[in-house]
Parts: sequence; structure tokens; C-alpha cells
Amino acid sequence: MNLECSLVFVIAFIITSNNLDKMKFLLSFLFLLAFTIATQAQSKLTIRGTVKDTTNAPLDYTSVLLLSPKDSALVAYTLTNKNGEYQFKNVDRQPLLIKATYMGYIPYQKELNLPETTELEVEEIYLTPILQELYEVVVKAAKAPLMMRGDTLEYDASKFKVPPGATLEELLRKLPGMQIDADGNIIAQGEQVQKVTVDGRRFFGGNTKMATQNLNAESVSKLQLYDDKSEQAKLTGVDDGVKEKTLNVELKEEAKKGGFGKISAAGGTDDRWSSNASFNKFDKTNQFSIIGYGNNVNQTGLSWDDLQEFRGSSAFQFGDTGDFGFSSSGGMTIISFGSGEESFEIPFNNLSSGYSNNQAFGINYNYLKDKKDFSSNYFYSRSDQIIESVNARTTFLEDNTSFTSTDQSKQNNVAGHHRVNLRFQNELDSTNTITLTAKGRLSSLTTSLLSLQELIRSSTEQSQMERNNQSDRWSGAFQGTAIFRHKFKKNGRNFAASISNTYSKGDQDGIQKSVVDLVNSTDPNTYFRNLDQVNKALNTSNLFKSSLLFVEPIKKTLFWESFYNFSLSNSETDRKVFDVEASDTPQLNPDLSRFFDNAITYNRIGSSIRYANNGSNLSVGLAASNYNLNGQFSVVEESENLGTVDKNYLNITPNVSYWKSMKGNKRLNAGYSMGVTPPNISDLQPYKDISNPLYIREGNPDLKPEVAHSFNAGYNMYDPATFINFRVSLNSTFYESQVVQNQTIDPETFVTTYKAGNVSGGQRYFSYIGFGFPIVKTKFNAFLNANPSYTKSLTLINSLETETNTFSHNFGINLDLTPLEWFNMYAGTSFRISNTKYEQNPSQNQDIINWSAYTNMNIKLPKNFYLDMKFNYSRYKNESFGFDQEVPILNAFIYKLLGQAKKWEVRLSAYDILNQNQTISQYAGQNFVSTGRIETLARYFLLGVTYNMRGIEVKKRR
Amino acid sequence: MKLILKTIALILITTGLQAQNIVGEVEYRYKIFYDKIYSSLPHLTQQERDRILLTWGNEEGYSTRMKLQFWPEKSIYTYGAPYVVQSYSWQVEDYIIENNLQDQTYLKFMDQMGKTYIVRDSLNAPKWRVMNEIRDILGHMCMKAVSEDSIKGQKITAWFASDIPVPVGPEELYGLPGLILAYDINDGMLIVEAEKIEFGEPEEIITFPKKLKGKEVTGSEYQELVKDFIQTSVESKRAWMWGLRY
Repeated sequence: MNLECSLVFVIAFIITSNNLDKMKFLLSFLFLLAFTIATQAQSKLTIRGTVKDTTNAPLDYTSVLLLSPKDSALVAYTLTNKNGEYQFKNVDRQPLLIKATYMGYIPYQKELNLPETTELEVEEIYLTPILQELYEVVVKAAKAPLMMRGDTLEYDASKFKVPPGATLEELLRKLPGMQIDADGNIIAQGEQVQKVTVDGRRFFGGNTKMATQNLNAESVSKLQLYDDKSEQAKLTGVDDGVKEKTLNVELKEEAKKGGFGKISAAGGTDDRWSSNASFNKFDKTNQFSIIGYGNNVNQTGLSWDDLQEFRGSSAFQFGDTGDFGFSSSGGMTIISFGSGEESFEIPFNNLSSGYSNNQAFGINYNYLKDKKDFSSNYFYSRSDQIIESVNARTTFLEDNTSFTSTDQSKQNNVAGHHRVNLRFQNELDSTNTITLTAKGRLSSLTTSLLSLQELIRSSTEQSQMERNNQSDRWSGAFQGTAIFRHKFKKNGRNFAASISNTYSKGDQDGIQKSVVDLVNSTDPNTYFRNLDQVNKALNTSNLFKSSLLFVEPIKKTLFWESFYNFSLSNSETDRKVFDVEASDTPQLNPDLSRFFDNAITYNRIGSSIRYANNGSNLSVGLAASNYNLNGQFSVVEESENLGTVDKNYLNITPNVSYWKSMKGNKRLNAGYSMGVTPPNISDLQPYKDISNPLYIREGNPDLKPEVAHSFNAGYNMYDPATFINFRVSLNSTFYESQVVQNQTIDPETFVTTYKAGNVSGGQRYFSYIGFGFPIVKTKFNAFLNANPSYTKSLTLINSLETETNTFSHNFGINLDLTPLEWFNMYAGTSFRISNTKYEQNPSQNQDIINWSAYTNMNIKLPKNFYLDMKFNYSRYKNESFGFDQEVPILNAFIYKLLGQAKKWEVRLSAYDILNQNQTISQYAGQNFVSTGRIETLARYFLLGVTYNMRGIEVKKRR
Repeated sequence: MKLILKTIALILITTGLQAQNIVGEVEYRYKIFYDKIYSSLPHLTQQERDRILLTWGNEEGYSTRMKLQFWPEKSIYTYGAPYVVQSYSWQVEDYIIENNLQDQTYLKFMDQMGKTYIVRDSLNAPKWRVMNEIRDILGHMCMKAVSEDSIKGQKITAWFASDIPVPVGPEELYGLPGLILAYDINDGMLIVEAEKIEFGEPEEIITFPKKLKGKEVTGSEYQELVKDFIQTSVESKRAWMWGLRY
């Protein structure tokens, strides 16, 4: 038989084969076949049979499988020939299940009774066609898998589309072979369903209508229809032959759903306290969260994790600015919302200086369904902060002399912010997407400042001034953006348009008082002045922006990108200063009061060609930009015009960028861009601004825009197998024209007059090298980094060109030691030396050193006790300034998790055990050096309790 | 098993040539759900899992088009044309798998774990269990078969069309009595599903680069590398699926 078969094969093969390879294959096959025949043991079986359909016609091309009955493991398979015959040879003797499957037929399977002999003739297999309706409706249309369980067929009802909120009855109406009669009874395959069970249990006494009308179709996962024994039979154990048609409804496991929350409270020494609470609930379409905190330990923002949980799916949104085209550093920097207070964004990871008392509350809701994505949040934060600081600043004069001013101040800021963020994105269809965002902020800020300033001209000449300033300010801002994106039929052709409006308004009332106490000074009207003023300021601004982008694929790898940007910014500043003399009626001070009104119009049109292929990306582009600056200045609105600005700048800016992604996670990039920044409109005003008598600002109507050429290059790699990573980058900027503040210092009064001007020749270089590698894989990792930088800046100081060169070198080492499951240690150090050289005044050269080292240790102790220790050491040094300050901070935490699920935590925290905390700053500028220190919350202890619904998170790793 | 594969290849070449459906090209949608995979990492706490699903949850998954060309004696599998033409290009990694049913060997040329590997060895099909379930994919009635990958910790559910009797499939799966038209890992962490089948000789046959540059290893050496890679990643609490095809 074997040979016969082979012969058939051979003939068939020769007919069809037309190349030598197949011949070789055949020969090897024959050899193999002969070999297997020769070694065939007595126990090997040959199994053969025929597959037919219910009309007794043979089914060819049917798959016949041999499975192991215990786990359905595939043992062997073959196909039937045109007579419906199949044959298995050399089958190991073992329990076997035979299975036959053919398109459109119910797969058939049965266990084989193995004979004593080596030949098994299986009785004919008859395949039953699948009910056409069932196959068409369930398998094909609804794409629901069909399951064979003994005699019953089962399918996944969740694949049938029903409207939201539909009942089981509505679902059943859609299913093939099911009917609902006028009385609400279920008729399945012509018979009435006697009972309905849910997950195998009777539903409300088996009342079918109760079940079909009350169960939600969306919660159903599977339906099974079978004949159950009657209750009677079950009770007596005697099969009375009566069958009850039973419908079993299997419910879905809880839909993707979650909820978590935590609450913690701690109290400690010196009335220190801290508490926070959050709760999140989410399912497939809805995300809801609330969060709140209160403390007097300087936490003024959410932690990163809390912020992420609070915002949920809206935590990371990209491309919402709607600014298209290549970036030029001369973009629209007219209104900057970057700083924390003015930002629309929820504050996070803030640890403030001084002493503060903080509260916040927020609520967030996101809705995600189909192609719609809506998110919203409201966040209120309040902070009452006291800052006591000491600052010293030494200014160098041209004759190698200097003077030093010090300022001891105590400031109290009470700030409150309401923030609202809304975002809606809808993929209208596969080609159109619209994104709408709205952001709003309302803030109030009350500040009071008490300060004592001292001027030390020499050991014998000193004067003092006491200041007392108060101000109340409220401000509000709104931003709305709409972005529309369209994909054309031609793959790669895209269009996008955006429009946005930002409006802001601020209103400030203040009192400024200062009293001069002349200790040794001879001239009463010099540096310090007596003041008693009331000021009012009202600022409004409105920025309108719009951008268009069009991308056209020229070839598969070549694209042509064009863009247009427009912006119009109108702003108005109204600042009134009144002198409060001895009389009660305040007099307007025309020198300090100012009204100005300006408009900046910006247009840019550009185009670039992009090449993108195989990881290489090159873009070369050119843009033309035009700025139009218009402004008017007067003492108060409608008063005599003090000056007009009307400037128009046109620039052509090229842009080149290249990046290449390579095999093995390597990436290379390089680029060049030219940036044009228009001058600040206040720097153009043809008028002297003496609102701060010590620092007079003088406008320069001839000022030109800042033009800078920037180059960047970088390379990075990461090897996921060895964990080695390496990164190097270099950025440099050359100023063709730089706007700088030229200074003139009056040698007698020390009053500085600033006047903006253009210089060329300024340079900046920043570089970064980082290298990370494991010393012992998974246990001990090291990361080294360095970022040398160099800045050359030029200004005119007392009409002399002054060159300042700052070299800054920063080296860091970080070590991660995670040797054991219960012990982790992280240590590192960084050293920065900032070397400032004054070309014209080398004796004033400064070396500022910032050195820091840290170690963090996490130890898991027995019985769910944990110990965390953090030690940070910082040293600030400036030898020539005689400044040297060390700040060692030691924090320790010991906590224990309680309960089986570890939902409770008791924690004892010790902050700044050495009682050394203060905030230090150092800076060397073009003709001055400064240091500052702020008294900051030092040693305190807290004992607290946390409850987390999801179990406490132990942050062992960074 | 090898003998079965070989016998089937032979039967197809001989008897099946009159049937049109043993040569062709399949386009698959390889849809990966990083949120589900990432949130299933063993070192995460329940809250971290919830946080990942909350912020990164994406019902659509991330799709790549793949294609498989098959003949009775072999199959070749690699990337298909991208769904969206982008004006930028990330490196498309080399990933070509050829299963030769005649010689019972495979050749894999792929960028994995930060390196390019050339893996050659003899075919060793996964251990399949055939289940009692059918579904329809592109008009083909498919049977369910399940398997496991103990190294990657994956539960594999595949659907094969017994009316396309070539024992091949996408990625590293094959050895069923029909073309694998879809499979699923760990209940929806990865879903690979055929979108288009064209029978007949493919227009443009997938070819390997002229010179295969990479590290030559055997199948078992490669398995060792994978095992080691996953183990170190788990120990370092990193997600291995960023460096290794899921």
C-alpha cells in the first residue's frame, strides 16, 4: 500500500514538477519513506477512512486531524483525496481522537477504539452542514466564533451590535433561530424556552420574560441553548425523558473598570502638618477623579504620579499648539505664559522656598467614546508664603572699584489660582479630525514686602533704606484653540489649519513706601530715595494666531511642505503712579506713569522639501518673515504723545535639519536654523523710563531684531541587551545681531541706565556627554555625564565694549546599586565650576563652585517595616566674593504597612535632621556678582497614616 | 511532526496543484496593545497598572501591516506597506522569516535586542492543541488552535483555515493543518489578523538583502539569548517588549 501510494505520488509529481530541485526533493522523500517503513515497529498504526456529507457524497480536500483526547494536542493531520479517503501511517499507538473539518460543515470528532492489529479502518465520517442562517448571520456577518460543545452550538452574543441600553430581548430578536412571540416568550428552533439561567443559576425563578426584559444586552457575553433535564428528573434522579429548553446567559466579566483612592494625614513638631486625598474611578468611557491637599511643609503642587492619575487620559497631549512650519527661535514670543504663576497648567513637583501654607483642590472628568475624546478639569490652588531672604550684589566699576548693595527682606505672598482646562477631539471620519481646546485662569496675588537695603561704598560710606511695599493684583486669562486636520485620498497628502486666541487682563493696586536712613553718606539725593507712592496698573493683551500647513508627497520618499503663520498681538499697559505727599490728595507722577498701546503683526510664509527614506530624514527649507511693530506712548491715556514706534522688519530665514535612525537604536541628528526675534517694544520706546529710579531704562528707536544662527548635532545609542547607553550633543549659537542691555553707571549716584543696543559677535556653546553602563548587570549601574558650556557676551558698559566669557564645567557620576530585593542604594555627585572672565577687568574674574553629593537608601526590614534615608550635601563657593556655604540635608523615613492587603501605612518622617536647610543662589553677570540666601523650612518631624484602596505603593526603585 | 509537514508539502505539490489556494499572499494587521502589555509587567503594583491603563489606554492599539507569501514548499514573511505615508521615516527594522517546508529549515533575518541576527535551524513547530471552535475570517472557515510560549509567557490562540491547506502562518507560527489567518496573544495584548488574501503567484516576491549582515546563530542559541534577555529585563524591572518582538 505504501509503495502504491508512493507510485501515485511519483507519477503525479513528475507531471507537475518542472525543475531539478523538486526532483531532488522527491528523491529524498522516497528515501525517507523507505527508511521509515524499514524502522516501522509493530506498535505503529495505519489509520484510514472516508469522509462524506449527509447526502453520502464523498468530501475531498477535507482536513482530517488526529488529536490526543486528554489535551487536544495535534498528533497528525492529512487531507482527503477526491474520493473522500484519508490515510495516516506510522501513528504511535496512543489514545486518539479523530477530527474532520470542512468549510461550511460542523467539525466532527470522535474517539477512536484502537484495534489489536496495526490497521484501523475508521467507520465513515458524515459531516453535517452548518445551518446556513447560522453560518451567514453568526459566523460571517457578526464575526462571532461558533463553539461546539457536545451537541450544542454556542456563540459570542457580544459580537451582535445592539443600541446602548438595549435589553436581552432586543438582542435575542437579532439572533438566528430565535423568536420572541407576542407574549414575550422565547421560541428557539421552534420550541419555547422553558427557563433562563444566568451564569448557570436560575434567574428570578426562571421567569423568562423577567430575564429578557431586565438584563442589559451589553452585559451579555455568551448565550448557550441546550436541553436540560426537568426539575422533576433532577429531584428524583429518574430521567423522565422530559427535556426543558434552557437558555443560559453568560455575563461579561466586569468591563474594564477601576477605582482607586488614597487618603493620608500627618502631623508633627512645630505645628507642621500635611494631608492629601485623591479618588479615581474609571471605566471604558468615563474617567472621573478628584484630588486635594493641604500642608504647611512647602508642597505647592501635585506629585507627578498624582498629576498623571488626576488627568488620566488627558495627561499627555501633544501637538495642541497649532503652530506649523519649522521652528525658528524667533517665533511668537510676544506673550509668554511659561512661568508657573501665569501658566494655564496645573502646578506639579513644586517644593517652594521659605515657609508656606498651601491648599489645593481639583476635579477632572474625561469621556472617551469611539472617535470622540473629551477631557475637562478644574483646579484651585492657594498658597500663603513667607520668604525671608538676604541678597548681596557687587557691581564693578570701570576704575577697578566696586560697590556692594545688600538687601534683607521679608516678603509675604498670598496667591490663589483657579484654572480650567477643556479639550475636545473628534475624528469626524477617517480623513478629518478636529481638536478644540479652551483654557482659563483667574488669579489673585497679594504681596507685602518689608526690606532693608544697604549700600556699602567703602567701609566708611554707607547708607540704608527701609522699604514697605504692598500690592494687590488679580489677573485673568483665556485661551481658545481650534485645529483642523485633513488627510486627502492620496496617501501622504495632508492639510491642517489652526486658529487661536489668547486674551489676558491684569489689574494691580499697590503702595510703595521707602525711608532712607543716611548713616555716613554725604549726598542725600543719591542712591536711595524717600518714596511714598500709590500705583495702579491695568494691562490687557490679546493675541490672535492662525497657521496653515500643506504637505504634498512628490514621490514615495520626497515631500513638499508649505506653511503660513499669522499673528496679531494687541496690548495695552496703563500704569499710574501717584505721590502721596504730606497732603491727602495723591498727585499723579508724570515721570513714572505710563500708558502705552501697541500692536505687533507677524506674517511668515515658508516651504521645505523633505526627504524621508529608510530612517534618513533631510529637510531643507526657506521662509520669509515680516514683523510690523506699532506703538504709542503717553503719560496717561489720551495725553500728549511721548513717542511712536513704527517698525517693519523683513527677513529671509533658511532652515536645514537632518536625522537618521540606524539599526541597534542609534540615532544621529544635525541641523541649522536662523532665528529672528523682534525687539521688545518697550526697548524701542523713545523715552526714559524712570519708574525704578535705581535702574533707568532708555529706549532705542534704532534697535534692530536679534538675528542668531544656531547649529546643533547629536548622537545617541542604547543597547537593550547590555543596557549600555551613550549620548553626545553640541549646540552652538552665533549672534549676527544680539539685543543687549548697554549700561551706564553713574560713579557718584551708582544709578544704572540701561539702553538696549545691537552687538554682533556673541557666542554660546552647550555640549553634553552622557554614558551609562552596568558594572554588574541588573545589580549595579553607573551613569557618567558632563556638560561643558561656554558663553561669550558683549555689552557696552559706560560706553566701553565689555567682553565676558563664562566657562562652565559640570561633571556628574551616578551609581545605582540594587543588589537585593530588600536593599537599594543610589549615590551620586556633581561638580560644577563656573568660571567668569572679564576681558577688560581681569582682577574681577570669578570662580563659582557648586558641588553636591547625594545618597538614597531604601531598606525593606522584616515585618513590613521599611526604612528610607536620603542625604544631600551641597556646597556653594565663590572665593573672590568670600562666600562659602555648605548645606547638608538628611531626611529619614520609617514606615510600616499594615493589614493583609497592605492598604494601611504608618509613617514617621524626619526632615532635615541636621537643621541646615536654606536656599542658596549664586550668579556672575557682566559686571556684577550676586549671592542670595532664603531662610527655608528646616528640621521637623511628622507622624502620619495613609490608607490606599489599591494597596500602598512602595517606591523601591527610581 | 516534521514528517507530517513534509508529507503535507508533498501531497500539496502533487495532488493540490489543481487547487488554486496553495500559493498566494496574505496581508495581516499586526495590532499591538502596549498599554495592556505594559500594565501586565510583573513588578508593577495594582495602582501603577491602573495608572497606565488610565493614561495610556488605547482601544485601537498600534497597527503595522505585515505580509506573508506562501507556496506549498515555503513561506516568507516580512513588513508590508505602511498604512499611512508619513513625511518622516523611522528606521524600519529588518524582519524577514522564511520557512522552508521542503528542507524543513528556517531562516530568520531580524533586528532584535539591539542587534541584527541571522538565525538558521531546522523547523520545530509549536505544540498545538486544536479546539472545538470555528470562526470566519475573510470568508474562510477557521478552526481554533492554542499553544503556549513559556519563555515569553504567552498564551497563543490561532485560527487556521483548513481550506487553505498550507501549514504556514504569520510571525513565528506554523504547523497547523491550514494557513493561520489570525492569532491573538494573552487575550488581546497582540492581535494579528488577515485583512486581504490574494491567491496565485505574488507579484513581487519578498527577497532577503543580497548580503546578510548580522550575527549568525542557531535556533537554540537564539532561544538562549531571548531567555537571557527577558530574564535580565525582568530583573532590572524593564519592559522587554521594547527590544524584542512580542
